[in-house]
Amino acid sequence: MNCQKFESIVSELARNQIMEVESPGEALAHSGECASCRLRLRNEEILTRGLRALAWETEFASAPNRIEQQLLVAFRERKVLHFALLRKSSSPYWLAAAAAVLLIVASVVAVRWRTEKPARPTTGQTAGDTRKNVPEKLVGDHSPKPGPENQKAPAIAHKPKRNARNVMAKLRPLDASGNTTSLAANNVANESVREIATEFIPLGYLNAVIFQDGGQIVRVQLPRSAMASFGLPVNMERYNERVKADVLLGVDGVAQAIRFVQ
Amino acid sequence: MKAKSDFNDSELLRSMLAGDEEALALLYQRRQAGIYRFVLQMSGSPAIAEDIVQEVFMFLMREGHVFDPDRGSVYSFLLGIARNHVLRRLRGEQHLISIPDELEEEAISDKPAALEGPLDNLTRAETIEMVRKAVLSLPERYREVVVHCELEEMSYTEAAEILGCAIGTVRSRLHRARALLLEKLRPVSEENASSAAVESARCFA
Repeated sequence: MNCQKFESIVSELARNQIMEVESPGEALAHSGECASCRLRLRNEEILTRGLRALAWETEFASAPNRIEQQLLVAFRERKVLHFALLRKSSSPYWLAAAAAVLLIVASVVAVRWRTEKPARPTTGQTAGDTRKNVPEKLVGDHSPKPGPENQKAPAIAHKPKRNARNVMAKLRPLDASGNTTSLAANNVANESVREIATEFIPLGYLNAVIFQDGGQIVRVQLPRSAMASFGLPVNMERYNERVKADVLLGVDGVAQAIRFVQ
Repeated sequence: MKAKSDFNDSELLRSMLAGDEEALALLYQRRQAGIYRFVLQMSGSPAIAEDIVQEVFMFLMREGHVFDPDRGSVYSFLLGIARNHVLRRLRGEQHLISIPDELEEEAISDKPAALEGPLDNLTRAETIEMVRKAVLSLPERYREVVVHCELEEMSYTEAAEILGCAIGTVRSRLHRARALLLEKLRPVSEENASSAAVESARCFA
């Protein structure tokens, strides 16, 4: 240890920062041999004591209580102001958002109303005036009035819109043997008087050629939830009940269309 | 659930920013004294210390969200704010005497280490007053390391975090600061040494 090295560590030595000094033993030994370094260390120790005295003097110094009170008041005021500003600034956004939501809802309702409008009278008639409509809808061969109209498709509840449905409207109901529907179909027809039915819904690509050689209607029962797969509304409280349906089969026995009956 | 008094500073800060008044009060009570002392020792003025404590916490209310826990503790953050305020105030008001940098360097390089012990012949109150004045007369960059490392007994690491510099810088600044302090205190001790007998006689009279 020389005086230069001692000078570089004398502060830490005087401050008892032993960890900072690489070789405190050597430094202390050097200060024992060198009078100048001994005095230097002594001065540093005195300075350290002076600084510690100053530190102790101010150890318990702190800001007066009124500062805390003023800060808390400022905090409350700021909070109130903040929320007021937040309310003020956010209200136009809320109004805009509410207006946008209303606009969207109105648009959806309008679109639905327009799309459902043509179907409604039919449904309304079916539900409210079934008895009146049924003779026109029911199968021609079994209706009381003879004529070409009576040979039209069986129990088509709705006015057909597309070609496939027109085809269905022209279909003749056939019994299992392929003959024109007789008693069984008549029973179905009579029952249909009291029934409400949807129009036939095609189960795939419906081609009129399929029914040129005849077809067959089969009454089946399905879970009510099956209606959902055809896009019909389902009462969820009764979803586990069964619902009647007429399935229109082609001559090959493949189901071509279905209608739900209540 | 943890009581608020058990929250660390970061948790208190988060609660405070969420509008919790109690969190502000707890954080203030925990940290105001250290900030007050730092400013007081940097400025020598209780009025400035009070103002700056208030300004620091007002800043925390407004801009507390800028605190980044990865860069240090909340206390270091608060002391950093206090440091900025006090330096601005001191530079603006210039009400403290500061030694120009050239003189400091000369003082360190030209003069040999003090041969007589400083503060040898002073009472405790006089010693404290002399040291206080000597510290206040140090240039800011040396003063702040003395305040942090000597008066607040922080480690070099903590001081470096607050000052935003390397640990080696803190260490070298402290070394220079102590050398400057010894230089500032020596003339007084020399003067006092010459009149020590008279003063002693007066004291005992």
